[in-house]
Amino acid sequence: MTEHTTSERPQRDVQLTVNGDAVTSTIEPRTKLSDYLREECNLTGVRVGCEHGVCGACTVLVDGEPVKSCLTYAVQVTDSTVETVEGLSDGSELHPIQEAFHEENALQCGFCTSGFVMSTKALLAEHPDPDDEEIEAGLCGNICRCTGYSPIYDAVYRAADAMEGGD
Amino acid sequence: MSESAPKSSEVPDADDEGKRYTGTSMRRVEDFDILTGRVDYIHDIDLPGCLHAALVRAPHAHAAIEEVDTSAAESHPDCELVLTAADIEEHYQQTPGRLGFKEWALAHDRVRFAGEPVAMVVAADRYVAEDVADLVDVSYDVLDPVTDVYAASDDEVLLHEETGTNLADRDEFVFGDVEGAFEDADNVVEGEYSWGRISGVPMETAGAVADYDSDTDSFDVHCNLQLYTFNGELVYESLGYPAEKVRLHVPENIGGSFGTKIAAGARYCALAAMASHQLERPVKYVEDRIEYLQAGDSHSCEREYSVRLAVDDDGTIRGYDVSFMDDLGAFPRYPLPQAVKPLSVLSTSYHIDTVRYEYELYLTNKVPQTAYRGFGVQQHTFALEMTLEKAARELGVDPTELRRQNLVRPDEMPYELPSKNIYDSGDYPAALARIEELVDERERCEGGLLDPDVVEAKREEGKYRGTRPAVTLEPSAGVIDYASRFEMSDDEIEANTREDVASFPEHLAADLRPDGTVTVHLATSSAGQGHQTVVIQLMADGLGISPADIDVDYLNSAEAPKDFGAAASRMGIMLSGASVGLADELATVFEGAAATHWGCDPADVTYADGAVTRDGGGDSLSLADLAEFVDDDGHTATYGYENPAFDLPEFDDALVDKLPTYPGTAYCADAPIVEVDVNTGHVDILRYYSLHDCGTVLNPDIVQGQVEGAIAHGIGGALLEEFAYDDSGQPLAVTMFDYLLPSITNVPEMVVEHRETPSPFTVTGAKGAGEGGTISASAVIPTSINAALEPLGVTVDTVPVTPDRLRAKLRDEVE
Ligand code: FES
Ligand code: FES
Repeated sequence: MTEHTTSERPQRDVQLTVNGDAVTSTIEPRTKLSDYLREECNLTGVRVGCEHGVCGACTVLVDGEPVKSCLTYAVQVTDSTVETVEGLSDGSELHPIQEAFHEENALQCGFCTSGFVMSTKALLAEHPDPDDEEIEAGLCGNICRCTGYSPIYDAVYRAADAMEGGD
Repeated sequence: MSESAPKSSEVPDADDEGKRYTGTSMRRVEDFDILTGRVDYIHDIDLPGCLHAALVRAPHAHAAIEEVDTSAAESHPDCELVLTAADIEEHYQQTPGRLGFKEWALAHDRVRFAGEPVAMVVAADRYVAEDVADLVDVSYDVLDPVTDVYAASDDEVLLHEETGTNLADRDEFVFGDVEGAFEDADNVVEGEYSWGRISGVPMETAGAVADYDSDTDSFDVHCNLQLYTFNGELVYESLGYPAEKVRLHVPENIGGSFGTKIAAGARYCALAAMASHQLERPVKYVEDRIEYLQAGDSHSCEREYSVRLAVDDDGTIRGYDVSFMDDLGAFPRYPLPQAVKPLSVLSTSYHIDTVRYEYELYLTNKVPQTAYRGFGVQQHTFALEMTLEKAARELGVDPTELRRQNLVRPDEMPYELPSKNIYDSGDYPAALARIEELVDERERCEGGLLDPDVVEAKREEGKYRGTRPAVTLEPSAGVIDYASRFEMSDDEIEANTREDVASFPEHLAADLRPDGTVTVHLATSSAGQGHQTVVIQLMADGLGISPADIDVDYLNSAEAPKDFGAAASRMGIMLSGASVGLADELATVFEGAAATHWGCDPADVTYADGAVTRDGGGDSLSLADLAEFVDDDGHTATYGYENPAFDLPEFDDALVDKLPTYPGTAYCADAPIVEVDVNTGHVDILRYYSLHDCGTVLNPDIVQGQVEGAIAHGIGGALLEEFAYDDSGQPLAVTMFDYLLPSITNVPEMVVEHRETPSPFTVTGAKGAGEGGTISASAVIPTSINAALEPLGVTVDTVPVTPDRLRAKLRDEVE
């Protein structure tokens, strides 16, 4: 997003491993991680629903931890490993979490889905066999306006079964 | 967490009518691209060389604009353009409004709500566009604001001086001898109820990417408008261009709308297109969440109700008198019919012959209204249920018995309301009995949430539990012709004839591809309802081919007929009716093409299961073989499904009188188990029971999702959500920390049971399913709260029932 500008804008280097690939860029320090991923890395599966840390649509994993990328500057996480929804499946096979959301009808408009899938990945890494309370604690930072959440519980249980502690 | 419908992903056997997919929970075809992050929402659409816009928004609720100084902004090295009202006036037109109002896409002379756009700036990226926007210097002369309907009604400060009043519209409908009923009845129960300003708040905000092409002097505008084929005039008239020069495109997925994107976003389409026209480069504008909440043209109804109920000692309801004042915000917009849609369910599930219905719509310094799921019906249902609750208490009768004895009975179906809409089918008393039974069996028993011992023990802790079941209705598939009554005088409505009624059909088109697959084109945008999946299910059955051989895309607004689209819970009915018709139409085209090829009579050719065969002979062609013989000039086949109410003489009276007709009336009987903590004022819904009947179910999982999602919206409206304003007209909910959406922690377990009473009025027997839960939940939650608080004698009368409001009530009335 910097190449068109003509004014003097401060620049910083950032280097990340994004979905397994090393990425290095020179960016404005105020660039949010969400915008960096969406615009520099073309990973538009990172959704922005509020840009103030409530909706969780922008959730990505930074060194395995769920992070709201709209509240994080890209330069803050330089040298980290970032995973987005695009990194979950390669080609035509869905990751078991994605498959579980599909089978349980846990998405409608889908705008929240990337965030829920990534939060679920972090949740299952910590609690491979979660109960309702752990699911609530793990997903209370994500808002879905469409589903009413019950299929999302079902999807998490199904994914936990399918993964049986693996990923 | 809920008891949901059985799942099925494998191909089932065909039933007697040849249906293999319709009625099953076929997995959604939309999901794969969404789950892998590949799908492009409007936020993700990027065109080569695209510039980015930001808006300068007014900080005041009401002010005269004295000067817009753009010089500092224009001298910023990255500024490409600053657009102001003066530029728009010079080059473009006003946006059409309702009731004779027109608006400029940027505030002109005066700002009428905080956050109203005053200027647009364009730069290389959004970050720098916002820097430049900060440099636009606007001076204002601040005026007194009008912040509620009561202040609006005294006309001391006028929103639009030229009209001389803040009352935008009023009307009164009297059915039967209302005064007589109130004089004769044993009791008259009166109540006043308030409905806070809420809206759909989808996860995706509104936006547009516009691309002006100077060679053809025309525009391509990518947007996430709902009903983009219908309300495109908001964009092309603003530009001063004919419809065919402004092609609106919708991505295959919109990130939620719930009615709101009917009006929200049109302004952005127009502004982005103007900027693109000026710069001859693509321009993108997507609002951020704070802009959405503060001033995204997306709030909805805010009503003050006054009601009276005439009821005899034996519980017979003799008459109902309802009037409300609605706070429209600064301009009347397209969704005005929200004020009269409740006429289609005038007495909701109850048999009341004598009714007065009155509304007054006021202009205030708030965000203009758009449509929202329920479209005015939830407020009406809320007011009536609250009144019944009060009546039962005043009469000292059992509230559920009072409801039961006044329900419309199945032997009265089809039931014509005094306001002339007709309920098609259903058994309301059985639904109420069943939900009572479910609650008794599961909760009013040992160990249940309403186990009398538990209820007693909880009260000791200050926690009061209760539930109040009711049957509520979802009118669906409206003929929206009645919307034009707002622009007509009483005499004009009087002179209206059946021939004047516009039909609002749903259109589909299809093409046979050279490889024998079929592409179906929708003329409606989709925001999570699974339209593609449902159309594929119906078309696969209609054509006897595999779902894998059908795909679905979207026509742009210039290609599509300008009729309507997804709204008013109409798509289950309309798309299914259109799909059935389209499949028949395709079969006829296939048979004709084969007959021409073989030189025989089309009557001797039969299409079935993906092939045409010549009767009596061995000739047969698969769809792939046939493709080269099918005329590929335009679409292979098109079909427009007329709204069923339009075709049934039963609805003629209502149509001629410009009264709302909704031929599919879905219903539900809901019982939330609520717990009120009187110490904190917090309301917890412990479990939510719902019995839902939307006629023939096309895809059980999709219907389940609509029902549960709608209930969650109703919970938000009843307990959490509100666009409140302070006395200076400043919005108090501009972040999602203030406008609280239901999260996984406050949406309860839902127990949903389905019944299927097919509609006799629709082709497939389907009725709408998208709004019922919202309509129901936001009525039965407050009545259940009053039921829970009955031992304390405290009643709530305003939604949302926030801890704050509830504590104030408890303080005033108990402590
Ligand atoms: S976009 Fe980051 S939390 Fe909403
Ligand atoms: S699927 Fe639409 S917000 Fe979750």
